[in-house]
Amino acid sequence: MEKDMIVRAENVDFYYGSFQALTDVTMAFEKNRVTALIGPSGCGKSTLLRLLNRMNDLIDGARVEGEILFEGRNIYAPEVDPVEIRRRIGMVFQKPNPFPKSIFNNITFAPRLSGVHRKSDLEALVEESLRQAVLWDEVKDILDRSAMTLSGGQQQRLCIARALAMKPDIILMDEPTSALDPISTARIEELIDKLKQRYTIIIVTHNMQQAARVSEYTGFFYIGKLIEFGPTEKIFTNPSVKQTEDYITGRFG
Amino acid sequence: MTRQFKEILIKNLFALLAFVAVLVLGLIVVFLFREGLPLFRQISPGRFLFGTAWYPTYDPPEYGIWPLIVGSFTVTFFSCLIAVPLGVLSAVYISEIAPARLKNVLKSVIELLAGLPSVVLGFFGMVVIAPWLQETFDLPTGLNIVNASLMLAIMAIPTITSISEDALYAVPREFKEASYALGATKFETIARVIIPTALSGISTAVILGMARALGETMVVLMAAGGAAAVPESLFDSVRPMTASIAAEMGEAPFRSDHYHALFATGMVLFGITLAFNLIADAISNRFKETGSGTL
Ligand SMILES: Nc1ncnc2c1ncn2[C@@H]1O[C@H](COP(=O)(O)OP(=O)(O)O)[C@@H](O)[C@H]1O
Ligand SMILES: [Mg+2]
Repeated sequence: MEKDMIVRAENVDFYYGSFQALTDVTMAFEKNRVTALIGPSGCGKSTLLRLLNRMNDLIDGARVEGEILFEGRNIYAPEVDPVEIRRRIGMVFQKPNPFPKSIFNNITFAPRLSGVHRKSDLEALVEESLRQAVLWDEVKDILDRSAMTLSGGQQQRLCIARALAMKPDIILMDEPTSALDPISTARIEELIDKLKQRYTIIIVTHNMQQAARVSEYTGFFYIGKLIEFGPTEKIFTNPSVKQTEDYITGRFG
Repeated sequence: MTRQFKEILIKNLFALLAFVAVLVLGLIVVFLFREGLPLFRQISPGRFLFGTAWYPTYDPPEYGIWPLIVGSFTVTFFSCLIAVPLGVLSAVYISEIAPARLKNVLKSVIELLAGLPSVVLGFFGMVVIAPWLQETFDLPTGLNIVNASLMLAIMAIPTITSISEDALYAVPREFKEASYALGATKFETIARVIIPTALSGISTAVILGMARALGETMVVLMAAGGAAAVPESLFDSVRPMTASIAAEMGEAPFRSDHYHALFATGMVLFGITLAFNLIADAISNRFKETGSGTL
């Protein structure tokens, strides 16, 4: 593996209190590629995703062992500021969650936190982010309107734009289309395809076709363990583990 | 008895009970106005509201409630100056910052505070705060605006805290997660996401707390000193409308002008409290649309 790996998980165990949600997960994510995490509900996909930007810190009693290396540095080292990590690793959630603020203020939330205050800078960022998220043409005249008035699909693209405005290196997506209709889903998938030129994307999905369509690598999880990890094509056409095959052919899960 | 008949019976029973409750309240309002309005055969509403002399037992009597209105608003204002920041910040602390165990303790303490009888607070103001104020600041009396405002603040804090806390608690988890995921610290999340989202509820809490302070009688009767004059300093005594009504109703001859004047004061109080409640309603309706979007 001489490729450019931006994040590595090394022997990661994760516990919610006394419940072990991940067991000995070791995997690496290649830069500017889409990696999909699949597996039945409750197998720990979201847990792993949230480990990568330290969102699990917010849960009482959560504990991680092993190392998550982001550009070679362990993000769980004591001197690392989780806020710094989250600014470089953006996240899009299952349910679109724009703030009950205007579209403009949603996008400028993160830039303002990091000290961008000049109106012209903010405006430029808003346009750039919305264009990247292919939402600009739909909302350019209603930037002052509440984000709550947008459709679900638009809200999710807004959430993507909001994460992009932070200029992250990685975007984590946790089942970003599971609450959306097929047309909105298709648009988000196109968007992911476009975004991978500039960002590393790690996406959790329930939808096998989606994983096959959008990702270069796929990891299959089962009860907290990484069962198989490799190029998406291989996982879907010629998996080497029986459990993987059973899952992707729909025999369980 | 068929099921359908039962349903109809239950429905009508509830309707009847609701109707009785509303009717009783309505009759009280009617009574208030019937006993209050006759005053205006004697003096004009303008002189009543803005007259600066309240000498109901002099000859000739003066029924100007301006000093009482000013008294009510002064103690309400200063109590809110204390109670709003304390109440809102404790709500923020309880709902967002305190560890789970402390949270429950604090909630119980606030509930306890809410259950404190106002006469106890008034008494406390009278026998503890008043002498202390009098000595420390070398005043003729410790029963004054400061004392009454402090006691009223203690009354208003539980209202403000518990309603604000409900509002903060209702802020969807998704908003907080979004904020943290965008690199906000806990403090930034509270200041930029949680409080703004809960703002309508917090405003409602503040207004209801104010209404509570404005309508409170026992505390101001005991701790405000009772001087029916427009105050000039924080250490002056005042006579809020509620205190005036409570103190004088017993001695005002039935259907005398004084009696009508007290009821008319009640009308004014009713009007102001009603306005507060309407404002609180309007604010909480205005932001109803928030919450996560439709799919
Ligand atoms: N906050 C939490 N506290 C305790 N257990 C949790 C928590 N979140 C998830 N879990 C448990 O951890 C396991 C993995 O959950 P999750 O990562 O959400 O699964 P997935 O996203 O693959 O459906 C599940 O058994 C779930 O019940
Ligand atoms: Mg999940």
